[in-house]
Amino acid sequence: MDKKYGVYICTGCGIGDALDIKSLCDVPEEEGLSCQTHPFLCGAEGVALLKKDIAEKGTNTLVIAACSRRVNYDVFRFDGCIVDRVNLREGVIWSHPRAEFPALTAEQKADEGNFDRVQMMAEDYIRMGMARVEKVKLPEPYKLENFSRKILVLGGGMTGMTAALDAAKAGYEVTIVEKQAQLGGHAATWRQQLPVSAPYETLIPPMVAAKIAAVQADGKITVKLETEVARIAGEPGNFTVTLKKPGEKIEFDVPFPLPPEMRVDESGKELDVESLHAKYLEYNEGRKDILQLDPGGEKFGAVILAAGWRPYQPKEGEFDHLGLGQVPDVVTNDEFEKIAAKGKILRPSDGREAKSVVFVQSPGSGEDDSDFAYTGAVTSMVALKQAKYVCDDYADGKAYIIYQHMRTPGLLENFYKSIQQTPGIFMTKGKVTRVSKNGGGLAIEASDTLLGKNIQVKADMVVLATGMVPVTVDNPVVNLAYRQGPGFRDNALFDGYADSNFICFPYETQRTGIYAAGAIRRALTVEESMEDATGAALKAIQCLESANRGVSVHPRSGDMTFPDFFFQRCTQCKRCTEECPFGALDDDEKGTPKPNPTRCRRCGTCMGACPERIIGFADYNIDSIGSMVKSIKVPSSDDYDEPPFRILGLVCENDAYPALDIAGLNKLSYSADVRLIPVRCLGSVNVIWIKDALSQGMDGVFLLGCKHGDDYQCHFVKGSELSSIRMKKIGEALASLALENERVAQFEVAIDDYDKVPKIINDFVEMVEGLGPNPFKGF
Amino acid sequence: MADKYLVEPDVNFIKEIGEYGGDSLKKCFQCATCSVACPISPDNKPFPRKEMIAASWGLKDKLVGNGDIWLCHNCGDCSTLCPRGAKPGDVLAAIRMYAISHYAGLPALGKLFSDPKKLPIVAAIPIVIFLVIGLIVDLFGTNWLDFTPALDAHGQIAHHMFFHTWLVDMIFVPTSIFVVAVFALGLKRFIADIHANAMFEGKTSKEKIDPKGFIESLVKILPTILKHSKFSECGENADRATPHMMVFFGFVGLAVVTGIFFVVLYGFGIHGPYQQFNPVKILANISGIALVIGSFLMIKGRMAKQDQVSTYKDWFLVGLVLALGLTGMLTELTRLGGAMFLTNLLYFVHLMCVFILFISLPFSKLAHLVYRTTAMAYNEYAGRK
Repeated sequence: MDKKYGVYICTGCGIGDALDIKSLCDVPEEEGLSCQTHPFLCGAEGVALLKKDIAEKGTNTLVIAACSRRVNYDVFRFDGCIVDRVNLREGVIWSHPRAEFPALTAEQKADEGNFDRVQMMAEDYIRMGMARVEKVKLPEPYKLENFSRKILVLGGGMTGMTAALDAAKAGYEVTIVEKQAQLGGHAATWRQQLPVSAPYETLIPPMVAAKIAAVQADGKITVKLETEVARIAGEPGNFTVTLKKPGEKIEFDVPFPLPPEMRVDESGKELDVESLHAKYLEYNEGRKDILQLDPGGEKFGAVILAAGWRPYQPKEGEFDHLGLGQVPDVVTNDEFEKIAAKGKILRPSDGREAKSVVFVQSPGSGEDDSDFAYTGAVTSMVALKQAKYVCDDYADGKAYIIYQHMRTPGLLENFYKSIQQTPGIFMTKGKVTRVSKNGGGLAIEASDTLLGKNIQVKADMVVLATGMVPVTVDNPVVNLAYRQGPGFRDNALFDGYADSNFICFPYETQRTGIYAAGAIRRALTVEESMEDATGAALKAIQCLESANRGVSVHPRSGDMTFPDFFFQRCTQCKRCTEECPFGALDDDEKGTPKPNPTRCRRCGTCMGACPERIIGFADYNIDSIGSMVKSIKVPSSDDYDEPPFRILGLVCENDAYPALDIAGLNKLSYSADVRLIPVRCLGSVNVIWIKDALSQGMDGVFLLGCKHGDDYQCHFVKGSELSSIRMKKIGEALASLALENERVAQFEVAIDDYDKVPKIINDFVEMVEGLGPNPFKGF
Repeated sequence: MADKYLVEPDVNFIKEIGEYGGDSLKKCFQCATCSVACPISPDNKPFPRKEMIAASWGLKDKLVGNGDIWLCHNCGDCSTLCPRGAKPGDVLAAIRMYAISHYAGLPALGKLFSDPKKLPIVAAIPIVIFLVIGLIVDLFGTNWLDFTPALDAHGQIAHHMFFHTWLVDMIFVPTSIFVVAVFALGLKRFIADIHANAMFEGKTSKEKIDPKGFIESLVKILPTILKHSKFSECGENADRATPHMMVFFGFVGLAVVTGIFFVVLYGFGIHGPYQQFNPVKILANISGIALVIGSFLMIKGRMAKQDQVSTYKDWFLVGLVLALGLTGMLTELTRLGGAMFLTNLLYFVHLMCVFILFISLPFSKLAHLVYRTTAMAYNEYAGRK
């Protein structure tokens, strides 16, 4: 593409009042580029001006210096054109109001030794925009050669069946894979079910039979019973799935990566590539490598993981104080449900009527008041449901619920209220300290109850509200033929639940194209699971309908770029393969990465990782950002007696950049000596940019990104964490330049920290000023 | 480890409290708004939250013998503010009704006054007693029940010529003794229970009840009762204090009049009716009018308050009081008007009302007169603030 440049400066929103527009125009004009100004560029007239230039002059590369790229993005989008948005409004004039940063008077201007920091900032930003557009290309979509629109659903319970029905209703072919010999999952073992619709007051017959019938009647749904996944190879839109009978050993069982203890020799040193590969082959004897596709495999485009839960198995002696395992009439809620499903509630010990039952919601040991592991609102609800069984079965039945937490989310509060009205159901907050045999029955002791410090209740049975353990806790289930391993990484952070970023991106796992729903995500009721299933089905559809057009699925939905590798220079260091938060890269036995673009989320973590700098995107690469850095004018003592400092800020565009825009909107000011560059993720920051900045005389570099660690807020899971590790290691490079470590820092910012971010920046600037100017200035 | 409290819920108790008008009791979710809202609840172990918890668990032993249920004047502030519609005020009222039956004993008799279907029987009892005893004594030539009465010695209509005071007292003195006996037996258990409950719940430091101290406490709280000062602290039902005061002092006035009448009759042999300007008569008339107006206002108030539960027992008592006052005043008016048959008929009905009021006293809501007074005295004695 032959680039025809055009620079457009909007003078609206106060830009024209605060800045010397003529001098701004000089910046592009000195480079021989045309510059036009308009008082209202996002208005109909302004846009018409742009469109006219595009149509008549053939302008196809536009630098629009106006407001933040986060606003009016639809107004300033032109097909076939490269557009850069220079943020003069939020980033310059709003965040550096003239009241605080006065413009030079005519008199001051006459003296060459004076300078206007805000004007310098605006001019630099225009230079940076111009540098960027010169280096980027228009993206072209990555299209898969083979594309499957079929959706694979793992698990034939309520969640899986709902997801399948929803996807089928939307016109997609679905295959349900179920380990058991019948559909229905846990829901098929229940006596009654929690309500799923208004008025949410009474128990309903289980919906599972109707669901099964609907699945069986649906022509778009194929059901495979007594089947599980041996491996899922490939990438979204083109998965090759090998299925097998549960427990069967086949050659397309997925190979597992070497556990860390097998990757080192006796002395604890990492083995070399060849020995590692030999060990790996030995470890996975009889299993085909991940890159070898099963010729008999079935093609799918996306996967919904609805493998559900299994009842918590208490460890030996774990609930001795509650009598579990010692007294037969102490059972778990899952066991109680099965007893109730058979008919009237009878004691397991002697088959006599269980007319009084105590439901224990928390294990009650020590100071900890938490419920049993892997529980949630659903276990509160199940206790209410099962208490009702007791009173339904026996007119003189009594059910006691002793809880530390009674969780009744949303309209299920109505259910709680209706159950509470049952004369024979009694509830109290309290800590159950002991369950023991008492004659023919049981004695339950509780402390700190609403009825007194220490109480005792006599009952025929005790039910413990133990949790719903997600099957992903010890089984990858999806068995991905990915180099990073068959399951989700760091799943222990989520107690084994299949999850990546719960609040911001539900259903999305750490693997693009695999969407989790139901109790595998969190302990859920049927209603919540069904809602979840719909969400995951929509996500799977979004995946198919993005991958087929060659655009990113999420969170950079619609991004047409993808990482491009210049393989000739690859040193097979495997950093990209290992650091990709989404396992998008596989590698061959030599360690050469094999990209799988539809698995990729376009965060650029690979680009930040690559020491050879051979990875880049059409519109975002080492050169484009590096050129922006180099275009910043760094004044030295040759220019001014006291030259201003120059500090580079690489700012995560997901949270930190919006926070800065909001700060601008609120007229919260920060130093005018910083130059900010938005980045896709701190994970994409390559240290070369920092080295470039420092070696051209900039005085410091800071990175603003998301919180990392166990409770990370990074949109790309690992980006800010990897960046922080890289920043720690940059010390060596700085030392070689004889620069202080403190000149480079990374800060955590959340999107609502707009009121704190100016201080973070100013404090850093002040600290760097304390260190003094970069000695490389002016060289 | 402190002593363990063995929790034994009584589902039937919950159902009975429901029938007495406390069917909202299970709605409580223990937020304690009620105890905070209550203007008269003490700071130490405040009610009615703990009563609501006990009630929802059917813990009869914690409620029936609990003095606190009587400290409540059912002003309704708690019920109005309750976020769950659990109506603690009505629940406590229902528990009090249950407690009255419990301490009165004689459940067969008690049931007569709690079932609207049994109202004809209740009305028939005095008719039968009056007629049977009257006819029996007439057999002995007394003519105490005279269906064709003459005018009295002053030439006026006098009801004792129709229904002799001897006959009245023959019936009412034993009835009163019976009522006192029922109360005495009930109170004995009641005081023991509320003391045991107060000790268990830590509401008192007193170990034993010293009769002298208890009587002193009773004297101490009398002004509170007479002035209705607790009642007037209530926000929501402040307008109920005035009618209650009118009925209360109406009864007090009429009790004084009856006492004077009794003494004058048997001490000085002077029969009624008194002249209209007689101070005793004036007191009687004022009291009677207060009773009628007070009970009328009570009925009006209850009918207007749709959100507050009114049970048969409530209607029974206010209805009876209004009937009592109305028949009394009408008896007097018709006597003065010279309508001999009508006034004697009304007098007969009036006597029926008085009899029913007396005999039902330990079983009806009016028993609160005794229990609330005792509980308030105990509370004073126990030193609870």
